[in-house]
Amino acid sequence: MKSENTSSIKKLKKQENIIGYLFASPWLLGITLLGAFPILASLYISFTTYDMISAPTFIGLKNYIILFTNDTIFWKSMWNTVYHVMISVPLGLVTGISLALLLNNKIKGMSVYRTMFYLPNVVSIVAMALLWMWLFQPNFGVINELLSPIYKLFNMEPLQWYQSASTSKITLILMGMWTAGGSMVIYLAQMQDIPVSLYESAEVDGANWIQKTIHITLPLMTPSIFFNFIMGIIGGFQVFTIAYIMTNGGPSRSTYYFAYYMFDKMMTDHSMGMASAMAWILLIIILIITTFALRLNKRVVYLGEES
Amino acid sequence: MTEPVKKPKLTKKQKRRIKAAILHVVLIIASFGFVFPFLWMLFTALKTPAELLQGFQQFFPSDPQWGNFVKAVTSIPFFMYLKNSLIIVVLVVTGTLFSATTAAYAFAKLRWKGRDKWFLVMLATMMIPIQVILIPTYIMYSYLGWLSTRLPLIVPAFFGGGAAFYIFLLRQFFKGIPKELTESAIIDGANHLQIFFKIMLPLSKPALLTVALFTFMATWNDYFGPLIFLSNPDHWTLAIGLRSFQTQFGGRYDLMMAASILIMLPTLLLFFFAQKSFIEGITFTGIKG
Repeated sequence: MKSENTSSIKKLKKQENIIGYLFASPWLLGITLLGAFPILASLYISFTTYDMISAPTFIGLKNYIILFTNDTIFWKSMWNTVYHVMISVPLGLVTGISLALLLNNKIKGMSVYRTMFYLPNVVSIVAMALLWMWLFQPNFGVINELLSPIYKLFNMEPLQWYQSASTSKITLILMGMWTAGGSMVIYLAQMQDIPVSLYESAEVDGANWIQKTIHITLPLMTPSIFFNFIMGIIGGFQVFTIAYIMTNGGPSRSTYYFAYYMFDKMMTDHSMGMASAMAWILLIIILIITTFALRLNKRVVYLGEES
Repeated sequence: MTEPVKKPKLTKKQKRRIKAAILHVVLIIASFGFVFPFLWMLFTALKTPAELLQGFQQFFPSDPQWGNFVKAVTSIPFFMYLKNSLIIVVLVVTGTLFSATTAAYAFAKLRWKGRDKWFLVMLATMMIPIQVILIPTYIMYSYLGWLSTRLPLIVPAFFGGGAAFYIFLLRQFFKGIPKELTESAIIDGANHLQIFFKIMLPLSKPALLTVALFTFMATWNDYFGPLIFLSNPDHWTLAIGLRSFQTQFGGRYDLMMAASILIMLPTLLLFFFAQKSFIEGITFTGIKG
């Protein structure tokens, strides 16, 4: 009797195992055929020269060596991308957190403000690029018109924004702040999860708004700050479309980002080996940064009482 | 006795009011900064080419050029692009719902070997830049002869392509559905397919709506995927079409803004109507992710 029971339980478990795999099978197929296999294949292709017409030829590390030692455009695109990440990620964090702090007060119409801040996030990136080309247009754009009193005051020439190599990167970064409402929503939700009792006892101790923000709000928000930081870095290293539409990578390659160079290697030159090597360099950079950040995360991020 | 107590109370209230007023002023200025580009877009779309060059001197369009929208629609094969966008969006939303719900059910409610390891793999895929899988898949589709079709944009959705966030979101939602419900259904002789269709999916409507909305927006707005994979101009989506508009009418910002507004309209409307499930979805992935 007993052994019969255990064997039927075993049968059920076996059955559930099969059913589990069946339910997961579309995704499992996808992750193997469209995920793991391409990642490994691109590693192999990165050790070859391959133009999609003749068969790939194995050349070892040559693609990597050429990129690192004999390709100024590679370094230029790398620098442009690092510059973009190093400024846009911190600026995005500060903007998003500031907006959330502003909204994290019990005021009327909070959800209306939240909607307005969030709105730019639903706009197609092409429409967004065209819109900001018009706003930043040096001669007839609204932004230079708004700044014209300042230009006059300091007797300076109007900025050329995306049309000049010295300001193009910053222009694209500033534009990106228009979508800071996306991360703000996440910060705000986490801020509103913070127990009111913490603030009340701080008030009893005579803490002001700044002290409460520094000692309660920000430390308890570290998980969402960390999340947005990682996502910001991963996204920042892949910056492409906005430059493709607004500047074509120019002027004088000042917005020619890493992903843009890779795109050209792939779609224009059909050097699939070189492009794959660049993709793997990108993957390794992102892996190093996230591992480093995860280590830091353990020390800095507040994970709640249970852990 | 009561008076000295009352006085500071009043000033405290006043203080709070002043604070609130300052806050509102700051918030109104800030939100104006976020919303003004939209307004300027609309005004620009309704102006004449001459008015475009006058900036703030001609803040509002003097004689709204509604014809600009007609011109924007008729000067590119707008309705063909619209049809293509809709075909791709509808199929990708369907595919994502299929692959994300089945996988989420397996992760949330079934015990199978390696489940937890696969779950970690799924979370890790969120961090992998698409460039790494792009080239081999491009080569693969080229061998399959798919580069002249829409298939590279549609088929992956049925296999969980880009669905990691949604699987995660749905799994959390499914986990919240009480065990008793599924267990009693099993005792009544229901199989997992029945539980999935008759209990899980009907109870998860809000989460399914969120996933559908996010997928709709992401696919409608996607530029990179169509740019790489749609080589046939007859398959171009609105996002790609809008870009061809730019190369054709470089300086005509009135027409470009009109076309941009038309492309933004569906996502803006969707956002306004389904704001709640939208914001909840974002905060969910952000905080619990």
